[in-house]
Amino acid sequence: MGDLHLIGTEHQTDAVYALQRSKQKARFLKFKDMLQQPVVDLDVLRKLSWSGVPTAIRPIVWQLLVGYLPCNSDRRNVALERKRKEYQDGVQQTFARGIEGLDQTIWHQVFIDVPRTNPKMALFQNQTTQRCLERILYCWAIRHPASSYVQGINDLVTPFFLVFLTAYIEEDQDPESYDISLLPPEILSAIEADSYWCLSKLLDGIQDNFTHAQPGIQRQIVKLRELICRIDAPLAAHLQSEHVEFIQFSFRWMNCLLMREVTLQHTIRMWDTYLTEHPHGFSEFHLYVCAAFLTKWSAELMRMEFQEIMLFLQDVPTDDWQEKEIELLLSEAFMWKSLFHASPMHLGGSK
Amino acid sequence: MAHTYDFLLKFLITGDSGTGKSCLLHQFVENKFKEGATHTIGVEFGSRIVTIGKNQVKLQIVSCDSAGQERFRSVTRSYYRGAAGALLVYDISNRNSFTSIAKWIADARKLAGADIALMLVGNKLDLEDREVSYLEASRFAQENEMTFLETSALTGEGVEETFLKCGRAILTKIETGQVDPERPGSGIQYGDSSLRRISQKSRPARQKSLCC
Repeated sequence: MGDLHLIGTEHQTDAVYALQRSKQKARFLKFKDMLQQPVVDLDVLRKLSWSGVPTAIRPIVWQLLVGYLPCNSDRRNVALERKRKEYQDGVQQTFARGIEGLDQTIWHQVFIDVPRTNPKMALFQNQTTQRCLERILYCWAIRHPASSYVQGINDLVTPFFLVFLTAYIEEDQDPESYDISLLPPEILSAIEADSYWCLSKLLDGIQDNFTHAQPGIQRQIVKLRELICRIDAPLAAHLQSEHVEFIQFSFRWMNCLLMREVTLQHTIRMWDTYLTEHPHGFSEFHLYVCAAFLTKWSAELMRMEFQEIMLFLQDVPTDDWQEKEIELLLSEAFMWKSLFHASPMHLGGSK
Repeated sequence: MAHTYDFLLKFLITGDSGTGKSCLLHQFVENKFKEGATHTIGVEFGSRIVTIGKNQVKLQIVSCDSAGQERFRSVTRSYYRGAAGALLVYDISNRNSFTSIAKWIADARKLAGADIALMLVGNKLDLEDREVSYLEASRFAQENEMTFLETSALTGEGVEETFLKCGRAILTKIETGQVDPERPGSGIQYGDSSLRRISQKSRPARQKSLCC
C-alpha cells in the first residue's frame, strides 16, 4: 500500500513539475514578445514582472523598469552608448590625478568597504570587480554631496552588477563565481556604467535614507512600529516590555533593504518586485516587506527575552529559505500594503 | 543553571570604521576570528559570562557602526545611555584612527556621563606596519584617565584581558561607590538577590565616606 501510495505521489509531482515548466515557458514567451515590441508598455511589463523576471531577460527588464533604458526600442542603442560614454568620461575626469586627486575621506571609506562587500562571494572578491565598485561608489558619492557615500550603498550596487554580468556569460555559468577578468574591457566597462546609472536611479527614490541624520530611515522605523502595533499587537507589546527598540534591529533592514538578511539571489528576486513599484518600491513597499518579515518570526520572538531577541534578529535563520519563502513574504507585504497604505488613519489610530 | 550570574554589565565598542570592533566582539564571544566580515550597519550584539574575582559576571556588549555614529546618532545614543563601560578602538597601523580617539572620548563622556569606564584599545597588533607606538598611546591613555591595552582580534592576543579589565574596572567602581548600580541607565544590573544584600551591607560605609 505504502509503495503504491509513493508511486502515486511521484507521478503527481512529475505532473506538477511539467505544469510548472509549461507555465514558466508561457511566461517567458510573454516577456519575450513584449520586449520585441517597438515600444514597451511599462504598465504591462510591471504587472508581468511582479511575480519574478526570468534570469535570461532580467538585465533588460530591470533597465527598463528602473527607467534607464528607453521604452522605445529605436532609441535604446543610442541612449546606452551616450550614457556609457558619459560615465566613462566622468570616471576619467575624476581619477585624472590618481588617488591623490580624490577626496581622501570619501575615498578611504569606499576603499575599506569594497573588500568587505559580499566577502564570501568570488565575484566580489575579484580585484577587477573591486576596482569597478570603487569607481562606481566614489563617482556616485562626489556627484551627490548631500548624502555622499554611506555604508550600505556598497551593498545596493551588487544586485545590478551581478544581474548585468549575466547578460554576457553563458546561462549555465554561475555569475557568483565567474572570473570577471576574462571579459573584454569594453564589456566590463558597459557593466560598470550600467550598474552606476541604475544604482543612481534606485538611490534617487530613497535619497533621504542617506542624507544627514537619515530621516527616510527614521520615518520608516516609526512606521514599521506602528504597523506592527496594528497587525501583531502582542508582538509589539512583547518587544516593548523586553526593552527592544525597533531602531536597534530594523535600522539595518532599512539601510540595506534586507540584503544582510537574505541571499543575493533572493534579494534579486525581491528587486524584480520592488522595481515594478519604482520609485516607491524601495521605500514604501519595502516597509511592508519588513513587517511581513518580522511577524514571520512572531511565535519564536514571543518566547524570547531581550538578549535572545537581539541575537535572533541580528542573524535571522533564513539559510534554508527557498524562493517560495521570498514570494510568500512579497505576497504578504502586498496584502498589508493594500490594507493599510491607502488608509493611513488605520495606522495613526494605534497609538 | 548555566545562566546564573551576579552582575550584568553593559559595554559598548566604538571607534573609527575598519578598526576591528566587530572582530574584537566576535573573538571575545566566540573565541575565534571572524572571517570574511562585512562592515556593521547599526549595531552588533554579543554576550558572555566570565568570572571576575568571586563574581560571575555577564557582559552584554554592543559594537556600534561608526559611520552611522556621525550621521545617525540615535541608535548609539540609546546604547551609550545604558552603558557602564566602553572600549574605544583604534588600529595601530592607522594613525588617523588614533587621532579620532579624542572625539570618541568626548562623545562617550557626553552621552554616557563622566562615570563611564573607558578603555583605550590598540587593535591589529598582528600587523607589521605600526604607525602608533605603544608608548605614545599609553601616555595618551594616562592623560585621559583610561586603561590601555593592545590586542589582535586575529590571533586573540589581549582580547580576553581587555574585556576582563573593563569588567573589573566597573566592579571596582561599584565597590568604591563611584557608581550606583541602582541608578537607571547605569549599565549595571544585579543577577540575584544574595549579591544585592552584600552590596547593601557595604552601602552605609559608602555613605559615610560621602559625608566626610
